[in-house]
Amino acid sequence: MAGKSSSTPATYAPSVSGQKKRRPLIQADSDWVRPDGRSFHQCRPAFLRTGAVNSASGSAYAEFGNTKVIVSVFGPRESKKAMMYSDTGRLNCNVTYTTFATPLRGQPPETKDLSSMLHKALEGAIILKSFPKTTVDVFALVLESGGSDLPVITTCASLALADAGIMLYDMVASVSVSCLGKNLLIDPVSEEESYQDGSLVITCMPSRNEVTQMTVTGEWSTPKIHEAMQLCLDACSKLGKIMRSCLKDAASVPQD
Amino acid sequence: MVGLSLGEQNFIKGGIAQDLRTDGRKRISYRPIFVETGVIPQASGSARVKLGGTDVIASVKAELGRPAPSHPDQGKVSINVDCSPIAEPTFEGRGGEELSTELSSALQRCLLGGKSGAGAGIDLSSLSIVQGKHCWDLYIEGLVVSSDGNLLDALGAAIKAALANTAIPKAQVAASALPDDEPEIDVSDEEFLQFDTTSVPVIITLTKVGRHYIVDATTEEESQMSSAISISINRQGRICGLTKRGGAGLDPSIILDMISVAKHVSEQLINKLDSEIAAAEACDDEDDEMDS
Repeated sequence: MAGKSSSTPATYAPSVSGQKKRRPLIQADSDWVRPDGRSFHQCRPAFLRTGAVNSASGSAYAEFGNTKVIVSVFGPRESKKAMMYSDTGRLNCNVTYTTFATPLRGQPPETKDLSSMLHKALEGAIILKSFPKTTVDVFALVLESGGSDLPVITTCASLALADAGIMLYDMVASVSVSCLGKNLLIDPVSEEESYQDGSLVITCMPSRNEVTQMTVTGEWSTPKIHEAMQLCLDACSKLGKIMRSCLKDAASVPQD
Repeated sequence: MVGLSLGEQNFIKGGIAQDLRTDGRKRISYRPIFVETGVIPQASGSARVKLGGTDVIASVKAELGRPAPSHPDQGKVSINVDCSPIAEPTFEGRGGEELSTELSSALQRCLLGGKSGAGAGIDLSSLSIVQGKHCWDLYIEGLVVSSDGNLLDALGAAIKAALANTAIPKAQVAASALPDDEPEIDVSDEEFLQFDTTSVPVIITLTKVGRHYIVDATTEEESQMSSAISISINRQGRICGLTKRGGAGLDPSIILDMISVAKHVSEQLINKLDSEIAAAEACDDEDDEMDS
């Protein structure tokens, strides 16, 4: 992100947030406004739809501000021949970015890591025993990266799994918090992520109140972790409600 | 992959529930740690850490590089882990790749801090030579030689020891007439700078088996885990990184409890590791004197 506007001034950049002036970070300034005008503890509006891809067993589309993700789920289907016998099902996750997802063209380097993070976030929620010997493939495509990509991917993937009728203990909702100086910002955009001192991502099953995945980077004191976790968990339970209502809407609309 | 019979599984689980593990340890005690530094002469710093049957080597190489445009006053650090098939046959070919990326990203998260560089165990600004022009790039490589559980903690300890062993050559900047000129760097091959490792955190993995959690799990114990959390904690008792390593979900209050247990364990581990590193360094220096 940084230095982008100065190095390529002639290029037309469609990202609205990227075009905005890059303010130097003033940590002491408590009136500091977030780039999209939200308050510190306010999430971006979430738009969720199931059934984005026809050929998949289940799919979902999620749009959180500028972050746009499609996830499709295939299976349960026969595991590859080379796989050993397993009496529980397998989960295969793959996250890819479109070449135009980021301001700089090309794949961001950490996609391989994202796939394994998604796998860990989901495996605790799926009842793998319900489809022995078979594999469920989860393919996520990030159309536009606008910050908090992994939480959006995870949330969208869980919706797609539910749409595919895979047995789950509960829906999985994921929210991240960025630490900037003394402030905690929920659901950061890419600009805020590039300045952050630390980040905390929680993936949880809201109705069971169980955390399936949690990552922390940067230096944190214990009270701050408490605060950030609580913030994330509250947001996750709200997000869980939105996901539920999205699934209910999809089920109540008569199929043509 | 560990093949355990039902009886063996119950034996391990039952032992953990009674605070007596199969090798006689308590739930929160480590296996003896053995540290050896300066094992790779070609590297700027290196260390080998043995933790029971787990054996890892870490090496640090410093190379001259250019700082990233986003952070002109900082050097760069990259961490990579290689899982060699000599440790386990399943690592052959691309089999170890998944574990390698998992370990390297967990180490990066635990040791390098946030995007702005805050809370990093390694002070990146100390690697800068000429702002925006030259810096040191540290390449940290981990190698798994033998695997018997708890690889992440062992690698974290090995990297800490390797950094303590690292000597970065002193770089003299020749004064140039014009400010736009490329400054000339004169790398000394006699004078070296030691690296400050007091703020490098240790990594503690708590493995949950049944209702209890254990530190320093062996492969057999890891096969019985329901979930595990790796927490990196520095000397001040602040958390520098945390990763949950898959498995079943955990109640948030259990995670907080695990963090406080890890904090308690970290104090002992840091002291133990520091004295081991100091002893290994002293031993290494003695060897050097004997050679010369």
